[in-house]
Amino acid sequence: PIGQTSDELFSSQVHPVLFSAYKTVGFVFDENGKDVTPQPLYQPDPAAVMSKHSKIFASDTSGGTMSDFYSTAYQTTTNASFAGPFTRSVFGSSTVSRGSQSTMESMNEEIEDPSSKRDISISLSDVQVRREEVKELIKEEMLDDVVDRYLIESETLWLLHMPAVSVSVDSEEAESVKERNNLYMELCKNRMGNDKYVERSMQTFNGAPKTKEVQSEAITMVDAATTWDMYDSFRSAGLGEAALSPDTDKATSASSSRIEIEPFVVPSEDEPDPELVLQSEKFQQDLFVMERIILENIYQPKLAAYRQLPTLEDPDSVPKVVPTVVSRREESSLDEESTLTPALERLWSFSCELTSGHNVSSMAWNKRNPDLLAVGYGQFDFKDQKSGLICCWSLKNPTWPERVFTCESGVTTLDFSASNASQLAVGMHDGSIATYNVESREKTPVIDSSDCAHKHTSPVWQVRWIDHERGASGEDKGETLISVSADGRISKWFLRKGLDCIDLMKLKRTRNEKDKKQVGDKEKKSEALISRQAPGLCFDFHPTDSNIYIAGTEEGHIHKCSCSYNEQFLETYIAHKGPLYRITWSPFCSDVFLSCSSDWTIQLWRQDLFTPVLGFTSTQSAVYDVMWSPKWATVFGAVNEGRVEIWDLGASILDPTIVSLASPGVKLTSLLFATETDCILVGDSDGQVSIYQLKNLTVGEGTQVRQGFPTG
Amino acid sequence: MAEVEETLKRIQGQKGVQGIIIVNAEGIPIKTTLDNSSTVQYAGLIHQLVMKARTTVRDIDPQNDLTFLRVRSKKNEIMIAPDKDYFLIVIQNPSD
Repeated sequence: PIGQTSDELFSSQVHPVLFSAYKTVGFVFDENGKDVTPQPLYQPDPAAVMSKHSKIFASDTSGGTMSDFYSTAYQTTTNASFAGPFTRSVFGSSTVSRGSQSTMESMNEEIEDPSSKRDISISLSDVQVRREEVKELIKEEMLDDVVDRYLIESETLWLLHMPAVSVSVDSEEAESVKERNNLYMELCKNRMGNDKYVERSMQTFNGAPKTKEVQSEAITMVDAATTWDMYDSFRSAGLGEAALSPDTDKATSASSSRIEIEPFVVPSEDEPDPELVLQSEKFQQDLFVMERIILENIYQPKLAAYRQLPTLEDPDSVPKVVPTVVSRREESSLDEESTLTPALERLWSFSCELTSGHNVSSMAWNKRNPDLLAVGYGQFDFKDQKSGLICCWSLKNPTWPERVFTCESGVTTLDFSASNASQLAVGMHDGSIATYNVESREKTPVIDSSDCAHKHTSPVWQVRWIDHERGASGEDKGETLISVSADGRISKWFLRKGLDCIDLMKLKRTRNEKDKKQVGDKEKKSEALISRQAPGLCFDFHPTDSNIYIAGTEEGHIHKCSCSYNEQFLETYIAHKGPLYRITWSPFCSDVFLSCSSDWTIQLWRQDLFTPVLGFTSTQSAVYDVMWSPKWATVFGAVNEGRVEIWDLGASILDPTIVSLASPGVKLTSLLFATETDCILVGDSDGQVSIYQLKNLTVGEGTQVRQGFPTG
Repeated sequence: MAEVEETLKRIQGQKGVQGIIIVNAEGIPIKTTLDNSSTVQYAGLIHQLVMKARTTVRDIDPQNDLTFLRVRSKKNEIMIAPDKDYFLIVIQNPSD
């Protein structure tokens, strides 16, 4: 039995597809023209059908349906065979009276429980009547409507009805009927376990499939529910910022998106102007990073060598035939081809078009970031002064400085502060001192000394930040800036409503005892003033005792002074015959210091001896710079006009271990050791700062320089 | 603005740099040093690649985001700095 909903029944013309198929058979004629239309198999008795229907229908029915059923009863019952698939009950023959009874009962049960079949039947009838049915558009409000559904039983479809025939015992057929009955009883009894009756399953034939081609529009696949998409929409919907797990994200966003379908509009973005894009800060940042990455690609082997990492060959690069001898020709190392002799290998150089033509006067590493280098450019001579330049170079970009500061007069010295790592103190040729903050992009100094009353009147040849651990003579602790200048003063600067200084020491002239007050020899600078003071050119504080320092003057004297006494020198060391350009304590041996001067010599001193322990001469040109190696106690480097020399006192005290010549026409002016790696930086008069790596320098252990040296 | 131009010029002059392309969010090149057809090709293909890379990174951790992408090939290296408004693409052959 089929449960049909009443309204569907009313609203449709029940012309089931299958039923109409039968109906349109029409008439069939054979070749002789006879009407051989098959007769319907079953002519129901309407009255009988009616009564049966009324007997079977136990549950509620609507009145209207009865007549409808009756009108279609003829069709439904005649087409009972077609309705076969829709019914699930089987009508057995009358002889199997027990069987039919049970099926009738099961049918009743089924009738009384139609609700379970409701869904199925609706769909089935839907299949039938879809063509004619007017489809109602389902609106959202309709989802909440209460719709009445009525469940009705359909009529019973009889497939086969063989009424029981009774024969009287007396008739002639009785015997045969009885016999047949008996036979049949036997059969039923034997049926169980009889080989003749085997349970077997049947297979329905599947119709031959037919391929049919269908074309649809292209299906666009969209990754809609990616984790990050949900995260983004969750955040922008403003429902909370807590980091939720993706599962809860899915659940809540699904529900929230339902509720907030209108307010959540994807913001339509205006086209950002291309100019805006180019000017945005993020773009500049990206450009900055990109430039560094490109340079890293280019300089990677050199930087790796600098950092003492093993340099790997690029597996894809075509091996060049041009040998590296070409690059070596520039410094034309005098060493043999063998790679075991100590040598300097040029890695790269910091230079750009801004710096070409300027003379490198000083270099300093940043105390906090060992990759940041400040280079000051300025002429030494009084004659050709141009405006000075300070460039802060980063190791990551050897082609363009990170910061460029221009100064009015040539820069002669600079030093980074240790306590405030971005503060750079600069001393200039016109005597002024300025400090710059390299972190900011400002081009002007933070402070400078032009307003100071006691400022230097002659070139400042050295500035240094000195950290006084113990407050010397009651002064404040912390870092102070000390400078020495050609006007003969060593001054200590501090910040008190502007830059101000006090004099630590006035470098009085100490000529030989013979002529104390004699007018000094012609100074290097064309100063016409007669001055009782000797121009100071360099100084260095003792590495451990920040009270003691040594200073070198233009006369060639070295004075040991103390911060506590600003009138008198503690000691004076006289050996040089010309202006001292650099003086430096050994970082390992606290009694030893080196000095270099324009008299072509470098002298090694001990604090307590008044004559130098050792003197080093190699060429006949002024030695501009000398520096102890921060790593090896016996090694120091020196730069004179034409070459850079590395001396290893453990190996030889007569000759430098490594010598490297400068390019022709270029004078080398300053030297700096790198703190963590075996590299040196050499600045020259053309504005280039070249980095060389010390190769194959085997230095013996031990920090005692004094071993083996003649005393006194 | 001048600084940006200067930096671009410097990058262009570095050793081995074959081209610079700046593409806006829609994939239209706003500045390029290559010819038109190459530019359009690079822009289209790299856009897809960056989208895929960004999806990958963010799927693993939605709070993360892609900042830089380098594709090293036999002949050259493509470096991409993606942003929501633009892509900066530089092609370099370091062993030139």
